Amino acid sequence: MDLEQLRKTAAEVVAKDDVKYLIGWKKGTYGYRVSPVFIENEADTEDLIFSPLCTANLVTYLTLVEKPPLPRGQKPDTRKVALMVKGCDSRAVAQILVEKGIEREQIIVIGCPCPGVIDVNLLVAKYPEVAENTELKWSGEDFVLIRGGEEIPVKREEVLAEKCRLCRYPNPVVSDIMIGEPVKPWQTEEDTGVSELEGKNVAERWEYWEEQFARCIRCYSCRNVCPLCYCEDCILDRLNPTWINRAVNFSENTAFHIARAFHLAGRCVECGECERVCPVKIPLGRLNRKLAREVRDNYGFEPGLDPDGKPFQASYKPDDPEDFIL
Amino acid sequence: MTDKPRIGLYVCHCGINISATVDVDAVAKYAQNLPNVHVARTYSYMCSEPGQALIKKDIREQGLNRVIVASCSPRMHEKTFRKAVQEEGLNPYFLEIANIREQCSWVHEDMTEGTAKAKKLVASAVAKVRLLEPLESTEVDAEPAALIIGAGIAGIQAALDIADAGFKVYLVEKSPSIGGRMAQLDKTFPTLDCSACILTPKMVDCASHPNIELLTYAKVEEVDGFVGNFTIKVRKKARYVDVDKCTGCGECAKACRLANRITSEFDEGMGKRSAIYMPFPQAVPAKYTIDPENCLMLTRGKCGKGPKCEEACQAGAINFEQQDEIVEFKVGAIIVATGFDTFDASRKPEYGYSNYPNVITGMEMERLVSSSGPTGGDIKVFNGEEEIVPKEIAFIKCVGSRDASVGNEYCSRVCCMYTAKQAHLLREKIPDAKIRVYYIDVRAFGKGYEEFYDRVRRENVRYIRGNPSEIFKRGKKLVVKVEDTLTATPLEDEVDMVVLAVGLEPRADMREVMDLLRLSQSGDKFFMEAHPKLRPVDTATDGVFLAGCCQGPKDIPDTVAQAKGAAASAMVPLASGKVTINAQVATVNEATCRGCGYCVSVCPYSAIELVTVNRFGHELEVARVNEALCKGCGSCSSVCLSDSIQPKSFRDRQILPQIAALGGTR
Repeated sequence: MDLEQLRKTAAEVVAKDDVKYLIGWKKGTYGYRVSPVFIENEADTEDLIFSPLCTANLVTYLTLVEKPPLPRGQKPDTRKVALMVKGCDSRAVAQILVEKGIEREQIIVIGCPCPGVIDVNLLVAKYPEVAENTELKWSGEDFVLIRGGEEIPVKREEVLAEKCRLCRYPNPVVSDIMIGEPVKPWQTEEDTGVSELEGKNVAERWEYWEEQFARCIRCYSCRNVCPLCYCEDCILDRLNPTWINRAVNFSENTAFHIARAFHLAGRCVECGECERVCPVKIPLGRLNRKLAREVRDNYGFEPGLDPDGKPFQASYKPDDPEDFIL
Repeated sequence: MTDKPRIGLYVCHCGINISATVDVDAVAKYAQNLPNVHVARTYSYMCSEPGQALIKKDIREQGLNRVIVASCSPRMHEKTFRKAVQEEGLNPYFLEIANIREQCSWVHEDMTEGTAKAKKLVASAVAKVRLLEPLESTEVDAEPAALIIGAGIAGIQAALDIADAGFKVYLVEKSPSIGGRMAQLDKTFPTLDCSACILTPKMVDCASHPNIELLTYAKVEEVDGFVGNFTIKVRKKARYVDVDKCTGCGECAKACRLANRITSEFDEGMGKRSAIYMPFPQAVPAKYTIDPENCLMLTRGKCGKGPKCEEACQAGAINFEQQDEIVEFKVGAIIVATGFDTFDASRKPEYGYSNYPNVITGMEMERLVSSSGPTGGDIKVFNGEEEIVPKEIAFIKCVGSRDASVGNEYCSRVCCMYTAKQAHLLREKIPDAKIRVYYIDVRAFGKGYEEFYDRVRRENVRYIRGNPSEIFKRGKKLVVKVEDTLTATPLEDEVDMVVLAVGLEPRADMREVMDLLRLSQSGDKFFMEAHPKLRPVDTATDGVFLAGCCQGPKDIPDTVAQAKGAAASAMVPLASGKVTINAQVATVNEATCRGCGYCVSVCPYSAIELVTVNRFGHELEVARVNEALCKGCGSCSSVCLSDSIQPKSFRDRQILPQIAALGGTR
């Protein structure tokens, strides 16, 4: 990716009167960290980066915006928001558009074809983090680590995020401006990474998930970071009726995760954010990808590919399978 | 819900329907101890006058404010009991039915099990009834007009009845003339009335009736609104003939370059017509239509030196520039009378319909035997070599009916009798013919039908029980291979002609009508009525009724009866001028609705739309329910991710305790 081109384009975008800000990535304060950045003026576009460390999905910031009551007579700020997206992020944009969560004309999508980003935990395990800000760059099919003027080659498979290993859509499916050339999909065959789990029997699977869910501390990070969990008033927070009790225990945790997985069936775009932010490392991606596979196998539907399509839950074909109806 | 709930609970014996497998006294005793239950009683028939009086008396004397009746399905008597509690000044929606008959006593054989389940059902009703909210029904005005789709005998009869009652009727027919299938028939069983002679007066009445507006060669394109207030858009296809000028003289058809070269649909493909045509001589309206698929002028833009029809027409009615016309109007009720297709006999290849010209269908036989048919009523067939008068004729019944191999398990109900009638007509035309009918069963169930069947058998028509396996050619003859199952004798019957008594099937294009009116299909793929016994002409969509074979195969008397029934039902909202809106409708919590529109997409009644609202200065979209259209089915609720749309009386907070009570926890 040509950073100069990115910054120049970004400067042109934020210079427009009808653009509120641009959401992108910038260097973090230490080590491998990268932060989201909201750029309002041209000068700040110098901070923008796009590197294998940009794992976070910025789409969630589109719907996180609070809409506080406006003083009488004051018009709401309807200026556009520009944001940078990778292939997986762009699917979230497409899905939100399908759900009318945002309006197409309210956003400017800057598409960044993505050769794959890293799982920072794997990187830290292999190359311990130091206080000094460290850069990671794409280099051919692999990565190169730049620290204290030294360049250390890093093998792709050692640090690649799981979502990228399974990724079939590295190029943005929705974009207004594309920066850089499209990349070849790493994966062409559908693989949800859950085959091993599917091979186990019910008791074994239950045991596996029991172990996972028992660890959950119900911090709700997974829900909060998810670009598609954007109901202002989540039903899992409601008291009447109380779908999920506040108690943090295996039973309620399981109910929480299953309810969330069902709400994401046919909507999850497999961006992996839930898994990335989980402080206790519950492999939530597997749960969501399993449901995604069910939807794909049974109904031939994949979310987040067609921004003009119909939502899965709300579409019907006369030949939809119904063998599950007793 | 300011008052503390005081529940009255009534357990019905339903004779022995419930009490044979449910210990009703034990259930009442158990219910007595449930929270807020003030009184629990049993009675032999709760729906009877004394049963209802019991409830009323308790409301009056014991100050009940909630009532539960543990009895049959709410589909049976919910209305009865609502009315009863309303008469005592209670909100009718403070009533809950615990279904301990269909869902309990009828499905259990063991008294212990049945009683235990009845107790749970009652406990679950108690858990819910406390949480019910008072609801008010509303009324809206109804448009005093009706739309009838399809102008066969069903549509015609319904139109005449409604129009005679003084309401406006829009009768829409897709073909150029009204009349439908009945116009194609020769005689009708069992009285042998000439079909056209009894139908055409009704067709003429339709055309001349001041309250009926005929929209022939037209198609309903859009239906919006709800019972009492439908807005209809109809496309009147271009006829390329100015109907105000056309006198129906027929000079154009004689002059047409394609005269007698185009297959006539009316004659089931056996006769010929021109590109400009009137389907049959008694057509209503008696106007000509140009077939845009065949007319040289319309397909190639050129017809010799100039279209001959235009030259021939003294009235100057031909107009190749004519465009489709969209007509828009409002009605209060709709009757669907779209009729049927006949079974395509080529789907039974063993009968050789596609290969042998002397294997014909029952419908083709109707045209062949008709004096206005392609042969003028002479029975002549081509046996592959020459045209002959058939002397040996076989009828095969149940072709495409009662046959799982073609997906039609139902009986088409008319084939037995039309076969008998056609056998009789052939006997009249060819007295020395040998006529044999191959059948599975003979179903002669209507008035005068059995007598007619006997008469035909006495006329030396042989009925042989057996379902032929194959028809093949041997020399000039067709061989029907069959086993006579009464004598267990394999037969090979050599005949000159085979008539396949094809069954009735739903219209191939019925899905368009289904989508337009949100109708559903029953197992046989015909339109589904609201209740097979008690609401046979209603549909799940209020204000939309069914008449004739679109609902299931039936003969002419049944069709006319159903059409009259549909007309009477359709006139209820028209005559009262008011429509009561169901109060148990979906309701939106606009504060949490995120405007995704999932509910809009799944609503089977198009009752939900997205509207823009101003929430503290921000414009956003939220769902809004049209209460007149909503049926309270809850589909919207099932897809709503933020739980913002729920049917009244079936809100989560009302049904979750109900479900929990069934499980026996919480």
